[in-house]
Amino acid sequence: MLMPRKVKHRKQHRGRLTGNTKGGASVSYGQYGIQATEPGWITARQIEAARIAMTRHIKRGGQVWINIFPDKPITQKPAETRMGSGKGNPEKWVAVVRPGRVMFELSYPDEEIARGALNRAIQKLPIKAKIIKREEGF
Amino acid sequence: MSEVTLTASTGRITGSPSSRRLRTEGVIPAVVYGMGKEAVSVQVARSDFRKAMTTEAGTNALVSLSIDGAHEGHVLVKELQRHPVRRDVLHIDLQRIDASKEMKLTVPLVLRGDAKKVTAAGGIVELRLRQLNVSVRPDSIPTEIYVDVAQLEAEQQVLAGELVLPNGVSTEVDPATVVVTANLTRAAIVAARQAELAAAAANPAAQS
Repeated sequence: MLMPRKVKHRKQHRGRLTGNTKGGASVSYGQYGIQATEPGWITARQIEAARIAMTRHIKRGGQVWINIFPDKPITQKPAETRMGSGKGNPEKWVAVVRPGRVMFELSYPDEEIARGALNRAIQKLPIKAKIIKREEGF
Repeated sequence: MSEVTLTASTGRITGSPSSRRLRTEGVIPAVVYGMGKEAVSVQVARSDFRKAMTTEAGTNALVSLSIDGAHEGHVLVKELQRHPVRRDVLHIDLQRIDASKEMKLTVPLVLRGDAKKVTAAGGIVELRLRQLNVSVRPDSIPTEIYVDVAQLEAEQQVLAGELVLPNGVSTEVDPATVVVTANLTRAAIVAARQAELAAAAANPAAQS
């Protein structure tokens, strides 16, 4: 699964998920993409699940790009622990996604199969997303 | 090269809130600059702009701009800012151009023809370079530059130096830049290897 090799600080604040994405809102590498329409945290497991769902559906015929990286550590306190005693332990890594962000891209010759693969990947994500095509012209 | 006309008006109040109000009224804020003249903040009707950009010339259309009824000259759409989700145009950058001088811009590359040999071999034709930086006079801006892939074979590639450019168009892109690849898919490579192994197993005498 994706995670940073090393980090400067082990624990981070949660942050706010307001506004739209600042960049990465268009399909850059492939022909089709999955664009987030609401904000959320995508865990490394969800990214991997989406990637597997896509690659299994296209059966090694195309190419998949992952444009997000889970670089934010999320901490959790163990079960049945009393409050206090500081912040919990880092348990998972997430990518912060805001509306408009193209998270995955796919290049495949057959549009129907490509859309099928992307729909399967969307099912693995915790946020609403839509399939977009590369913008040509106006 | 067809020429499209666009009408703009000055006097808009700049800033986020007033620009937002303009957009809700179907007007797009824009700026006109270039050729050593002062930049002018203008506004353009969304429907007019859409008409101007959806002609045969595409987004590289040579636009004859008039501001407040006075002919301003020729402009090109330098940049479009879009909403990240809705994709509607939020702001337009219009650059004044000298119609008699050569200028630099990007033109989309489009595949033409059916690469039957590549498909038969289990490969995929992929466009690696989607836009080409070209130098061209404003009266001969091409809408698209075609890359012919009909004669392409598997594991071959088309380089920038091999592109057939329209008359009056030149490019400074490195001629060794890869434009199109026709690589075999992993599935085709695995199938070929399995076929080789099966042939070797069926005829061991030929191997030794």
